[in-house]
Amino acid sequence: MILGLDLVFRVLIFPGFTFILFLTMFCDWVERKIEARMQNRVGPSFTGPSGILQPLADFIKLLTKEDIVPRDAKKTVFRFAPILAFSVVVFAICFLPFDGAAIIPNSAFAGDLIFIMALITVANFLLFLSGWASSSPYGAIGAARVLTQFLGYDIPLFLLALAPAFLAQSLSITSIAANQYLPFILLAPWAFVLFVIALQAELEKDPFDIPLAESELVGGLETEYCGGKLAFLHLTRDVQIVFGAALVVELFLGGPYGPVFFGLPAFWYSLWFVLKLLAVIVISEYLTCLFARLRIDQVLTANWKILLPLSLLSLILTVALATWVYPLMV
Amino acid sequence: MGGSLQIQPAHLGKASIQVKADSNRDVLKLLFETDKSAGIVALTGLDMGEKIGLMYHIRTNGAIVTIRTEVPKENPKIPTITDLIPGAQFHEREAADLFGVIFEGHPNPARLLLPDDWPENLYPLRKDAKIDDAIVKTENSKNQAETVQPQSDGTLVNIIIGPQHPALLEPEKFSLKVNGEIVKQVEPRIGYVHRGVEKAAEQRTYLQDVYLVERICGICNACHAACFVETVEKILGTTVPLRGQYLRTIILELNRLHSHLLLLGHAGFEIGYETLFQYMWRDREPVLDLTELLTGNRIIASVMTVGGVRRDLKETYIPKIKTALANLKKKMGFYKQLFENELTLKMRTQNVGTLAKEDALKLCVVGPVARGSDIAMDVRKDEPYEAYGEIPFKLITYNTGDSWARLMVRLDEIVESINIINYAIDHLPQGPYRVKVPRVVPAGEAVNRVEAPRGELFYYVKSNGTAYPERVKVRTPTFANIPAFIKIAEGGNIADVPASFVSLDPCFSCTDR
Repeated sequence: MILGLDLVFRVLIFPGFTFILFLTMFCDWVERKIEARMQNRVGPSFTGPSGILQPLADFIKLLTKEDIVPRDAKKTVFRFAPILAFSVVVFAICFLPFDGAAIIPNSAFAGDLIFIMALITVANFLLFLSGWASSSPYGAIGAARVLTQFLGYDIPLFLLALAPAFLAQSLSITSIAANQYLPFILLAPWAFVLFVIALQAELEKDPFDIPLAESELVGGLETEYCGGKLAFLHLTRDVQIVFGAALVVELFLGGPYGPVFFGLPAFWYSLWFVLKLLAVIVISEYLTCLFARLRIDQVLTANWKILLPLSLLSLILTVALATWVYPLMV
Repeated sequence: MGGSLQIQPAHLGKASIQVKADSNRDVLKLLFETDKSAGIVALTGLDMGEKIGLMYHIRTNGAIVTIRTEVPKENPKIPTITDLIPGAQFHEREAADLFGVIFEGHPNPARLLLPDDWPENLYPLRKDAKIDDAIVKTENSKNQAETVQPQSDGTLVNIIIGPQHPALLEPEKFSLKVNGEIVKQVEPRIGYVHRGVEKAAEQRTYLQDVYLVERICGICNACHAACFVETVEKILGTTVPLRGQYLRTIILELNRLHSHLLLLGHAGFEIGYETLFQYMWRDREPVLDLTELLTGNRIIASVMTVGGVRRDLKETYIPKIKTALANLKKKMGFYKQLFENELTLKMRTQNVGTLAKEDALKLCVVGPVARGSDIAMDVRKDEPYEAYGEIPFKLITYNTGDSWARLMVRLDEIVESINIINYAIDHLPQGPYRVKVPRVVPAGEAVNRVEAPRGELFYYVKSNGTAYPERVKVRTPTFANIPAFIKIAEGGNIADVPASFVSLDPCFSCTDR
């Protein structure tokens, strides 16, 4: 019975669903604030102290808006794809140890790194479906661009995620995070840099925010969405950003582990995790502000001609490191 | 007639040649063959009672030559000159819309400015046109919705940008025939917000018209007002006091600063460079503050008047203007470095939307678009007005002809504009800044040009000796630059359409006068 309550608390309250939801909105606020300050603007500032409640207000506002399904849309897919995409990303997050263990207790298994990478592929495909089902030319082109871009960065992203796996001799996220006596960013900085770049494409942020190019595609795959479904699409995007940043923390920044000063280790682990997460989001937002949007063909060319060979090279380097150098250090 | 026409360079007056309708084409052909760089500026129609007058304003050696001809109103037919100079296409379509002149052999004689459901045989700029005839019956309206969906035409897909689209801040429609990601054909449709300013100007006094034409375009409002009052002053024979001329120059250059900064920021937005957009628009604010300081208004200056300007510059303003401009100049150095070195920005603008010099000449483009294609054309140099003849400044040209070159022209022009304003303030003559002029303008006509931020702005005013003008013709820079957009979009990538489009700095408020 107590075990059951613990499970419910972990999944629904902390570090599960509620915590992830609020963390997502907090990260959204941080992102908007940082971007605004970098662009010499103020950013959200009215709702709550320094506008911290603005993402929540936006979410609630969208939920109250009229929800229209276009006449020609494939209605079932149009309705369920955004919610499914959101659920899949949240499910993937559940395997990341926020406070030292995966959110669903004992769910971690030997190959969960591959499993969550596959889940993210599914989430992207669901996003594609949501745009495709809206049967608007802008939605369809935006959706097609999600897939086209996905073709470019998915393989490099996967190859780069293997670097920490080689170093930790494990494909399980939990043990990769736990086995970083020295954070892997220091051991394999090249893999970290490339991973962040590939992640920028996965998260559809500048210079790779092509599926969302509002000056060409109106709203991309979101064009026909409104009301609650649009709220879920926005939330999916924000949760994806949290997921991406969390993945970087787990793979390269030593996961939630850090010094424990007093009291519960879980508290300190969560704190370190969130701080590291914010650091990754700052880096990602800095890149976003720095560049103009590339064209889809330029992204594919860059990914296949530069990023893919580089990530293969990084893999070779990391394997060499993991085989001959790293064992001497541990 | 071959060889019988010689064009003398280095004269800045206006020549006018009267020809018969049947030999009109031959004269124009001769002109374009004699001067390969000649282009058409405007085609003015004129209701002359039984006849319709047509005036081809041709730019040759930096000056304007007007070829006049007349066609009978019952049978207003004249051969097209589109094959001689492709840039005439839109001018002819405009005259066909507004005066009912039929241009025989025109490749695409469809409506350009009037709505599709506008009644047949009602030509708004003819004097006998009645407003009651123009009440459009809604049952005649075509269902616009059916054209909005993409249509498959063999292997080509029809993608429609506009009338409402985030890349366009104003309602215009561009149908792109697309094969994959490559644009094959572009068909523009303008006139969605046509306000009939030319007709409205005929029903107002000259003084009222100053404020009317100012509202043709919010961004280059001072240029429109200045061009109109200069044209009227030419008919009146008024000379503006030197201080008035310098003050006008300062306000025109502030207008250019504000327009160029706005465009460069907007270009940043179109290529997804939001930081650049926010920075540029931040730096545009001090320019608006200066405009407010000098004129009392931030955007629509309302400071030009026939005979001078309406407000003087106070001594106390000078340090404020100097400080603001010095700050802006410093920032422009940073932006120039950014435009020259930033990789993603260059990837999106270099070798995109390239307009070769020969094409630019044929399509009669104006302003920064022409200067980006290595055509040294600037009314401020070709035919100095106001104080430009006395102020030294550089004419900026770039020779690559791509979007990047067009943006760089504007970036460098901002620095030149700052120098011009500084020079004008340092050399500001003392004395009156306006003269009183009569309300009734003697019969006569005049053409005039100013270099608006987007390029050469052309006005033709005909007076019939009353307080109301007989005809006001406005040819805005964007109207001259639309053929260039068709040229650069065709064969390009669909993702490049917004980026190359914005580099032309289109203003449809101007186009739909």
